Amino acid sequence: MSASDSGIGVTPRWIYALQVASVGVMWVFVIGISGWILHLNRLSHRLQDVPSATVAISIVAIPVFLTGASVLTYVFVGLQRGRRTPGPEPEGEA
Amino acid sequence: MSDQAQDRDRPTQGLDAVDVSDLLRSVEGPGTGFRVASTLLILVILGGWVIFGRQLLYGLGVTGLNQPVAWGFYIVNFVFFIGISHAGTLISAILRLSNAEWRRPITRMAEVITVVVLAIGGFHPVLDLGRPDRMLNIFSAGRLQSPLLWDVSSITAYFMASTVYLYIPLIPDIALLRDRGAKPQWLYKFMAWGWQDTPRQRHVLERAVSILMVLVIPIAVSVHTVISYIFAMTLQPGWHSTIFGPYFVVGAIFSGIAALLVVMIVLRKIFRLERYLKEIHFDHLSKLLLIMALLWFYFTFSEYLTAFFGNEPSEMGVFYYKLTGPYWPWFWGMVACNFLIPVAILSFKRTRRVPGILVASIAVVIGMWLERLNIVVPSLANPRLPYPAGFYVPSLVEWAMFAGGIATFILGFVLFARFFPLISIWELKEGREEAVRETMKRVESYLPDPAPRES
Repeated sequence: MSASDSGIGVTPRWIYALQVASVGVMWVFVIGISGWILHLNRLSHRLQDVPSATVAISIVAIPVFLTGASVLTYVFVGLQRGRRTPGPEPEGEA
Repeated sequence: MSDQAQDRDRPTQGLDAVDVSDLLRSVEGPGTGFRVASTLLILVILGGWVIFGRQLLYGLGVTGLNQPVAWGFYIVNFVFFIGISHAGTLISAILRLSNAEWRRPITRMAEVITVVVLAIGGFHPVLDLGRPDRMLNIFSAGRLQSPLLWDVSSITAYFMASTVYLYIPLIPDIALLRDRGAKPQWLYKFMAWGWQDTPRQRHVLERAVSILMVLVIPIAVSVHTVISYIFAMTLQPGWHSTIFGPYFVVGAIFSGIAALLVVMIVLRKIFRLERYLKEIHFDHLSKLLLIMALLWFYFTFSEYLTAFFGNEPSEMGVFYYKLTGPYWPWFWGMVACNFLIPVAILSFKRTRRVPGILVASIAVVIGMWLERLNIVVPSLANPRLPYPAGFYVPSLVEWAMFAGGIATFILGFVLFARFFPLISIWELKEGREEAVRETMKRVESYLPDPAPRES
């Protein structure tokens, strides 16, 4: 059964685009969180409000988010490269 | 295409068709039960939000919160739900990491619990705000030095890691649904990420799961430790304790296992999964629950004995408020539910059967909720400053949101079961094909080497 059989006209190319976009959204989220944490760092430095504590927390928090997004990207890229036919699924392929 | 590759393409390879139909019953034939359950649950949730509207209009005055008890049901439920979230990812990751083969039918349900309750629990502090719109201030002027913001970042990280940890092992099963033509087809095609079960794809998936299971364990432990810091970092009597971190983690794993057992028993009954969730799975998990009950008692005893022995007046105010004061029913109810009932039931093989385990698990879930209530309210009711002791009675708004939270939890499961298999099909398949051989090899490696031949 092809994707367009679902009755809402979603073609394989669109599905592939949505998959790439979903990974992109994940990165937007992670970069957003990291940016927010860095902003709070800058704020605590400006106000001299225990900046050492914010730096310590950032060192732990930011890599965790980056690792999560990296693993997801690794899986996406790995699954696409590991396919018998790389790229968007051709019409009719189950 | 080789014969081997063609065989791999068959969606039900390794499991007979009856097995797969059994496991996909909730997806392929949801029936009216699904619609009725979803409608009822949505009504409960909507009802809760309608009643909550009064709080938005009139502020926290419509709740039972007062001075000095400024935290009540919302924070109790926050700590409780986040604790339950340890059921999943942590237990699943530990079982995977330790190669516990009996984990296979359990891990998926555990991971779903985590994601659903984290979403519910993480939202509760927002309900506790008189002006929820002010939450946006954390983006512009949050203080990362505050334990409250440590919570925001650790819960967000845990939610992200748990969602990824649920999703990645789900991909082969989503592909199975795609290949069987399940609807909505576009959703399964989108979520399958082009899975074709090639050796390279399997290698990528297994490697990602290995990385994640190592990553989520410290995150999960840090989440509940950080939640305990909200209390322990204050000088409030009953809260300022060095063992609060591990105490909270132990309590979270304890309530998580209990919630997982309740979910397993209920879903086994509804979806007739007796062939997959066997007595042996309940036996193993209930032994873990028993160990956690003893550990919980040890931590509770240490915590209260230290306070009692110190005999500090403000600490003793909280101590007697719980043991003999207005909170005695909740305190002794907690001890009965978390220690006496589970230990009495689970210590004996005769009572350690599914009905007994269900009773013990429900008792623990109730007991752990009471524990959170006993931690949050009595300390606030007896502040260090010379105020008269307070009391807290939750209002209809708080009860309605509590009911809404539980309904959201059940709805989360109902929706998940409608679209995805509750038991990991590919892991069961892998178990049948490879795990028996691997386990035999592992057991052989534990045994002493043959004695060297004397020449």
